Amino acid sequence: MNDPGLTAALQALRLAVRRSAVARRLDADAEQALLQTIVEATVALFEAEASSIALFERDPDRLEFRVAAGAQGAGAIGLSVPPSRGIVGFVYSTGQPLALSDVISDPRFDRAAAERTGYVPRSIAAVPLVDRDQTVGVLQVLDKRTSPTFSLRDMELLAVFASQAAAAIRAARVQRDSEQLLRAVLERLGDDMSPEQIDSLVGAAAMELDAEEETPFWQLVDRVAALRELSDREQLLVVDILEVVASHAARGRRAV
Amino acid sequence: MPDLGLPAWSEPFAEDARSQLVRAAGLRQLDREWAWGGSTGAGVKVAIIDSGVEGSHPVVGGRLVESVTVQITDDEAEVIPDEPIDMYGHATACAGIVVGLAPDVEIYSVRVLGADLKGKGAAFLTGLEWAVEQGVHAMNLSLSSKSERLFPYFHEVVDQAYFKNVALVSAVNNVPGLSFPSTFSSVFSVAAHAIPDPEIFFYNPSPPVEFGAWGVDVPIGWKDGSTTVATGNSFAAPHVCGLVARILGKHPGLTPFELKAVLAAIANDPGELPGSG
Repeated sequence: MNDPGLTAALQALRLAVRRSAVARRLDADAEQALLQTIVEATVALFEAEASSIALFERDPDRLEFRVAAGAQGAGAIGLSVPPSRGIVGFVYSTGQPLALSDVISDPRFDRAAAERTGYVPRSIAAVPLVDRDQTVGVLQVLDKRTSPTFSLRDMELLAVFASQAAAAIRAARVQRDSEQLLRAVLERLGDDMSPEQIDSLVGAAAMELDAEEETPFWQLVDRVAALRELSDREQLLVVDILEVVASHAARGRRAV
Repeated sequence: MPDLGLPAWSEPFAEDARSQLVRAAGLRQLDREWAWGGSTGAGVKVAIIDSGVEGSHPVVGGRLVESVTVQITDDEAEVIPDEPIDMYGHATACAGIVVGLAPDVEIYSVRVLGADLKGKGAAFLTGLEWAVEQGVHAMNLSLSSKSERLFPYFHEVVDQAYFKNVALVSAVNNVPGLSFPSTFSSVFSVAAHAIPDPEIFFYNPSPPVEFGAWGVDVPIGWKDGSTTVATGNSFAAPHVCGLVARILGKHPGLTPFELKAVLAAIANDPGELPGSG
């Protein structure tokens, strides 16, 4: 199937993602900015009334709508829904993409939550944001202007957008985790460093990031990315080992 | 469709791709009359591993015989009795599609989704194991796991099911990366086509996805007695599950291997669809 409109839209999306990757170096809230780009591209491509992304957060467990776009999207931002309810909850819990149409005729369809956004949709498509083996959130689209339902092709396209969003979230979180890990290591090893010195060292390391280059920092990022795939128990073991290594290193340094 | 680097599992069943779905001519000696003529799925036990079937929903036709859920405490997972309610509507939708095709089946609801089930993968695995032990004949699995850690355990239970002659019908997930059990070879893996007919299904000789059934704009039963219209591979799988129940109603004891061969033999010929000349 050759669709120049689609190819152009995908190219635009990839360009936006790449541009955001650069902007991420400068923008403190990079994850948010990139996710915003993705929902805006989704609304434009699907000619939809609204698109939004909800991310899973703990304590209490909830799916929090972080970004939204489209004429009817704004009301969703900041809303939280429990993962045990509704279409978004189902897609998050099962990782299974889903589209419903004719939802307005169903009086019990999450109406309370929909009304809080100021907009009750006629149709909804939702796909999971999957980061490796973990679902981290849900991308949803409400009401295509050109059709009362979503086609299989729509669902597949939406999955492309979702995979971009998941990659963005992963990149942002890995970078955040890497900075935290570097800080933790420096705090442990740098007995004679002030918090300000540690801050400036971490900041300098993060500023010098160049994805094309094999710097020690990127190696560290890779290690952290690998650590994220371990189970809780395995992570605890790694932390224990790191502590032992760190204490030996500190002892060695003092001896010199 | 440009190459999006994603598994577009429904592509083989799209109108312009269906001519590739060719099969061995000898299989055509079986027909649907032989396979399920006169069968209503009576005597066939079907487990719906999902969000809990709403027993009183009209689409379920009073066929729900038992409801259980999985309780997870610390490291222990235990199967306990459950109310016949649906947390989302999804299990009821699947059960309704199965009953629609095989009105006399017995439905066993195994709820592995919901507010109190945080270890979702573990609950799914435990529910699946329970249903195999109960001796159900077929199962609908419109959900999947991506947990690398649970992969070998799922593999073991799916093998147990195969050796006990339980047909596991599973929706494939259009999400990149590891996703099972639909990708295990003994499972009946199903993606969606868009022809609005519950009895039209295709066999795909190029795995991993073996069957294509109706999954676009399907009228379904949903939560609290309601109905709606839905799209997803989730709703294609129960169509195949319902047809499997019909076949088993007429030919009890067929193995999953034999069932797949029967389905391949009686699948719609893409060139002979009603209205396609």
